[in-house]
Amino acid sequence: MADTQWPRFMVFERDQPDHPWKHNGSVHAPDLEMALLNARDVFSRRPEQAGMFVVPMAAILTQTREQLAENPLVVKKLQEGQASSASSSLPYMIFAKTFEQGPCEYVAEISAESPEAALAVAIATTAVKNPLWWWAFAASTVLASDAADAESMFAPARKKSYKSSNEYPVVTMMRQIRAKGKLED
Amino acid sequence: MASPIADYLLALADDELILGHRASEWCGHAPILEEDIAFANLALDEIGHARLWLELAAKEMGEDPAKYPDQQVYFRAPDDFRNSQLVELPNGDWAFTMLRQYMFDAFETQRLDALSAVNHSGMAEVAASIRNEELYHLRHTQAWVRRLALGTEESAARSQAALNALWPYAQQLAQPLPGESQDVPSSSDIFDAWRNMVVPFIEECVLIIPEVSGFIGDRTQHSDHLAPMIADMQEVARVEPEAIW
Repeated sequence: MADTQWPRFMVFERDQPDHPWKHNGSVHAPDLEMALLNARDVFSRRPEQAGMFVVPMAAILTQTREQLAENPLVVKKLQEGQASSASSSLPYMIFAKTFEQGPCEYVAEISAESPEAALAVAIATTAVKNPLWWWAFAASTVLASDAADAESMFAPARKKSYKSSNEYPVVTMMRQIRAKGKLED
Repeated sequence: MASPIADYLLALADDELILGHRASEWCGHAPILEEDIAFANLALDEIGHARLWLELAAKEMGEDPAKYPDQQVYFRAPDDFRNSQLVELPNGDWAFTMLRQYMFDAFETQRLDALSAVNHSGMAEVAASIRNEELYHLRHTQAWVRRLALGTEESAARSQAALNALWPYAQQLAQPLPGESQDVPSSSDIFDAWRNMVVPFIEECVLIIPEVSGFIGDRTQHSDHLAPMIADMQEVARVEPEAIW
């Protein structure tokens, strides 16, 4: 069967304005704006949320621990990067997942000529050592919620109480009602 | 005890409830998983707004705000509902659903803006809290309407057909609500503000607004579509009135 899915976007969020960005999950969408809206509806229905951004999966450079060990591509890029002048550098966002149960979290923003070069600088200069994987993507590929939208995007969820599905007696109720034969299936 | 304010609040609640129920009919059927979640959330928001208006109406009438909303929703006859016909029409296709939701959400944001300033603390408070959610709904539905209208030949044709079908019904929103007094914003003023808001957007979507005359009929009259929807909505509650959910 043909793949009829829209492109995938990675969703990042933070629960307080001064907390680090964390990867949360992914959504499908036809474009960035719809991806941000879908992300809000899928991931931000529960408190606390202070900001959110999406980035096309296709724009993310991933390097896993294994990839880096097998093929030191990034290290090579670093050497190339140092050789050439940094005339066309762009800001890149660097994320890393450092342990299995932890989130993929923001590490740094680094100006460089390519995602590879940015990642190389992150590997050489940040405190994160040998994570499970790294992500690097140009800051320009991101769409973030802006402060003016925060109220309508995130405030409503804070007022809603969360109830686990097993706190609702609906399923048992419906079974009892059906057993009495008063409802058509 | 019935009062003009309670009648007015009931009409506000009925628009939210009926549109929310229509939106909930997409649950499990929306075009993609993400939208299924998003639109079910939006349906719940609308039904939640209906509850807030009904609780306020209960206070106006000296009824129990914990019981009154369920009584009105589950045990009232279809003829006693005071929603506009726009919100009771069946969902049709996705273009119709999104355009109707956009048109109504746009109207609501205008109405809520005006209601936030009324000299009735309960009403102003509820309006302000609902408004936040409606702003988001509007952004969501506007995004869809724009993409469908400016999308493929088929999605544009479906969008135009939806507009042709919905526009005459939207004219009903200009009529005063039951119980509308000098103390609340005039529906006809809100309608004018709404037109100024949606007409440029619809034109930007390259859709053509059909020529219409004013809507015939008031909120005591309904299309044939309302009664079956209400029967579906009330079925379980009427079988088991004492059930706790």
